[in-house]
Amino acid sequence: MQANAGAAPGRENKMTCAEFQQELPYIIDTGGSAEQEAHLRDCKVCADLVQDLRYIAEQAKLLVPMHDPSPRVWDGIQESLEREGLVKPRQARRSFLGLNS
Amino acid sequence: MASKPSSGSKKTTLATAKKILASGITEAEAIDRAKGGDGEAFEMLYGLHKRRVYSLCLRMVGNTAEAEDLTQEGFLQLYRKIATFRGESAFSTWLHRLAVNVVLMHLRKKGLPEVSLQETLEPQEEDGPKKDIGARDNVLAGSIDRVNLERAIESLPPGYRIIFVLHDIEGYEHNEIAEMMGCSIGNSKSQLHKARMKLRDLLNTSRTEKARR
Repeated sequence: MQANAGAAPGRENKMTCAEFQQELPYIIDTGGSAEQEAHLRDCKVCADLVQDLRYIAEQAKLLVPMHDPSPRVWDGIQESLEREGLVKPRQARRSFLGLNS
Repeated sequence: MASKPSSGSKKTTLATAKKILASGITEAEAIDRAKGGDGEAFEMLYGLHKRRVYSLCLRMVGNTAEAEDLTQEGFLQLYRKIATFRGESAFSTWLHRLAVNVVLMHLRKKGLPEVSLQETLEPQEEDGPKKDIGARDNVLAGSIDRVNLERAIESLPPGYRIIFVLHDIEGYEHNEIAEMMGCSIGNSKSQLHKARMKLRDLLNTSRTEKARR
């Protein structure tokens, strides 16, 4: 593997891809040094890698909760609440909201 | 790429919201009532927050039965402790943190390595730059759909998945994750990076297989 696989021809990079990628976990979200940023500008391979990783992170933020738990979860909670005396027993109250059945 | 919630789940959310509005009770009022042992108030709070708590649990443990048990335990702990909620943070934030702690405690009891210190201190061969990393022509941008991303996240090793869910999906900072998981900030960043690299591989593999069909 070339030390600077994606470097533009004729450009001398002080930092190798290996060196850049070793530090990448600690700089990807906050930005790096001038030397690291210069490598990113000059190296297509590392630039593509960073673009992919940032894209994955951005898409993850957009994932919305999609699923509800089954009704047994609320049933279990209700039973425990009554058993622990945190709420009145079911016979003594009506669930007027009916949200979770 | 962002896909909106399906029409079915949107209807459920709207129906729940309408019922809550129809009852004339705000979340803040429900919290106050719940502190006094009002069962309907508990139910309302559950209805408002169950989806997010369950989704968090499911993404972290990757198993519906476990996720439901943890959701139940999370809400029970909430109700036991609700009297201590003073409103210094948003209720959802408080509940969310509680749910994360429930999941992490569960994982510790199972003996799962949440963060492998050893792995960080002794980098493995697979952690180094990939030799073929220059061979790929296209970047991922614009090519990921929600289903494939969720599947890829499910496929992550547990340690990677937990950090990824906490940071990239749920928005916790590394210092918060480090405190919750008893690791260093550096470890948290390293594990997150590995998770993202693994996801990149999985998503590219999926894309390549799709192109072949």
